[in-house]
Amino acid sequence: MNNYGRIRGFTVLMVVMQNLIWILLIVAVIAFSLASDAFLTSFNVINIFWQSAPLGLLVIGQAFTLITGNFDFSSESTMALTTLIAAQLMVSSASGGLDLMVFPVFSIVVMLLLGSAIGLTNGLLISYLKMNSFIVTLGMLMLLRGIVYAVSSGNSVSNLPQMFTWLGGGTLFTFTVGLKTLGIPVAAIFLIVAFVVAHTVASYRRFGREVYTVGGNRAAAETAGINSRKVILKVYLISGLCAALAGWLLAGRLDSVTPRMGTGMIFVVQAAAVVGGISLFGGRGTFIGAFGGVLLWSILDSGLNILQVSPFWIEVARGGLLLFAVFIDAIRVRFMHWLSHRQALAQSTIGLEVE
Amino acid sequence: MSSEPEVKGFSDKEIVNCPQPTIILRARGLSKSFPGVHAVENVSLEVYRGEINGLVGKNGAGKSTLVRLLMGLQRADGGTVEIGGRCYEAMTPDEALEAGIAYVPQQVSMIDSLTVAENILAGNLPAGKFGFINWKEVKQEAKRRLQKLSLEIDVRQRVDGLNITEQTMLAIAKALFSRAKLIILDEPTAALPKVDIQRMFSFIRSMKQQGVGFIYISHHLEEIFEICDRVSVLRDGQMVGNHRVAEINQTQLIQMMVGQSVSEFSRANNPISKEVVLSIENLVRRGHYEKINMSIRKGEVVGLTGLKGSGSEALAAGLFGLEYLGRGTVKLNGKAFIARTPRQALGQRLAYLPADRHRFGIVGLRSVKENITYSILKRLVRLFMIINDRRETELVSSFIKDLGIVTHSIEQKVGLLSGGNQQKVVFSKLVATKPSLLILHEPTQGIDVDAKTDIFRVIDDLSSQGVATLLISNEVRELSVICDRILVMCEGKITYQFIKGDAEAIPENILLAIEGSYEPG
Repeated sequence: MNNYGRIRGFTVLMVVMQNLIWILLIVAVIAFSLASDAFLTSFNVINIFWQSAPLGLLVIGQAFTLITGNFDFSSESTMALTTLIAAQLMVSSASGGLDLMVFPVFSIVVMLLLGSAIGLTNGLLISYLKMNSFIVTLGMLMLLRGIVYAVSSGNSVSNLPQMFTWLGGGTLFTFTVGLKTLGIPVAAIFLIVAFVVAHTVASYRRFGREVYTVGGNRAAAETAGINSRKVILKVYLISGLCAALAGWLLAGRLDSVTPRMGTGMIFVVQAAAVVGGISLFGGRGTFIGAFGGVLLWSILDSGLNILQVSPFWIEVARGGLLLFAVFIDAIRVRFMHWLSHRQALAQSTIGLEVE
Repeated sequence: MSSEPEVKGFSDKEIVNCPQPTIILRARGLSKSFPGVHAVENVSLEVYRGEINGLVGKNGAGKSTLVRLLMGLQRADGGTVEIGGRCYEAMTPDEALEAGIAYVPQQVSMIDSLTVAENILAGNLPAGKFGFINWKEVKQEAKRRLQKLSLEIDVRQRVDGLNITEQTMLAIAKALFSRAKLIILDEPTAALPKVDIQRMFSFIRSMKQQGVGFIYISHHLEEIFEICDRVSVLRDGQMVGNHRVAEINQTQLIQMMVGQSVSEFSRANNPISKEVVLSIENLVRRGHYEKINMSIRKGEVVGLTGLKGSGSEALAAGLFGLEYLGRGTVKLNGKAFIARTPRQALGQRLAYLPADRHRFGIVGLRSVKENITYSILKRLVRLFMIINDRRETELVSSFIKDLGIVTHSIEQKVGLLSGGNQQKVVFSKLVATKPSLLILHEPTQGIDVDAKTDIFRVIDDLSSQGVATLLISNEVRELSVICDRILVMCEGKITYQFIKGDAEAIPENILLAIEGSYEPG
């Protein structure tokens, strides 16, 4: 009885640990609002969502690959290349384009197709040729960034058509708060819709089920008749597509595409996913948690900026948060093992005969 | 035997001076449990010097766990090991070696590309001037040591040039050079040709004469009677007997190994239809099995058994597409059966329960619900490939009820269930695919008696619904209870067939057939 009480006590602890991201989020919000009046304003909240949209899309793609137990480091370069090509198709040579003046809808289609094609290439190399995902995508990261520099000759592309920038930079439902006129950013709505779709796919569709299985135990998945190679191919396709969408959002907000767009962002993406509870070992994590990870990351950025903390110390805080997240994940895994041994012993009839 | 041991200049003085019989090792009340299973329970064992103590038991009886405890490779939950007057509660591998326990595994691993001499002196090669090794001295020293054991092996030869007998003998010799008092031999003759077994035996006997104690693990019972002085029997983790071999016979030994009360389950003789579900003709896979001919009819439960490496496991894995199946004609439900992947096998309504549940059976991180429906998601999806949650829950709940899966909810992670319940989850997954042929590989491994009975009941139910079952197992008593027919595989061939109800179809005979020494009549 006492024992059972202990297990139940630990179950409560387990629930706390599973939802740690939301507890951290609340703590962060409270701490920053106490520290500065400028933090919890509608302007800043809108801004946080706006800024986190491209990161969020990259995290969605990354989370799918991580859940299958693979990496995709190439997504930041995929994002830069797809967006650069799309931008160059649309603008004049004076703005860094190719003078083709392609209609935005067409160039968006090209962009999404290119992202998917890059993802497909990664996926084929990793699933069918059984190459290591870490190395393949690391190579792709460098290769694609090189192409970006070569294609752009180091020049930025600007003056993007409004139809293109609407998704990342446009607003809806304008309203007035005090002296400022604010609007809900399209990007923020898109971000939330994207996470809802991702969550639905992962938790309620057959494909999502298979993604978790492949990541949880690939041998068992195959024995159960799941085509794990196809599943892995698909997650990379999704990752490539998400990278292109992220680029579309980012280019819209900045109204330009630079060759260095997104450099170093992959570390932030991985960190946000891990902080949100996506395991690097595959099979564990939810998209709701990942969304929390993205928000926490943006809140930390925004809050520390408002407090005028030096960028160097912001980097320290980011690193510290990441280490903390991995630490919690490790504890969670150990705890799970401990719990499983206990419960297995408690349930086995052989175990009861000992006394 | 009781005479003063012969002294051939053997290096260990202690052994020479001790009067006989002296206990080398005394294990008292050793226990070790893993989640859900008592691998070894309250086992006591004594080994005397100059004695060969046989250790027998079926696969999974706890032999290897016991050896690991004696070697200090695993910590016992309780009990003590006493060696050379010292008592250990938890021995480290170093202490075990220091105390003089050596283990010679079935597959001896030595540094193959070195010579015999280098292998013997590995670790303390005599260094000459400038740190160079004095190879002449190495060879002489190695030769001298081998002569002491009257073992004639060319010390200049590379180890990979030796045959298996010589390699095993060299491993024993090496153990003795490091002053081992007790040598644990794990199936030393398993890979040996018949002629060499006697050579090995005479070597072991001469070591015994010099006062070395042996624990001799073997599945070949004649060998036990030939070379051992005493024999200890493990069954389900418990020491069920310890006798002088002169006092018992082979039948008694087998009865101890098999036990009596494995299961209360009994299965009625269902009328079996004439319709053939699986037929295999002249199936050959080189190195694994040859000329396999068999057929399974609708509703029939066929057992397939054999020692490790006899081909029964490879055949099952081959049929399910996990391994190469080989060449021959295989028909399932009258149609040619080809499966290169488990997916294709499942598509042809063949389901397989793997022996390694944790690796191939369950996804421990995911829920009971998900684990049961992995193979049938195709049938559960509706618009936009969204899984029909209501139908899934109904289906899973019915399986939980039918098989008696103990779980507090269908969302419980499978990794947190006990072994028996995990196995029932895997079983449900197979049954959900509505197979026409079910291949079960050690379905009762590591699960408790109640869960075993539940699983037998399900096999029986399925059989009355017309599902054909191929049951690969070493649990002969269980096979004789549940199967309509039992096929025995030996060295890649089907050697015997026992039919339920025949007078000869008793577990003792089946065990003899498995070991290749059954003579009908």
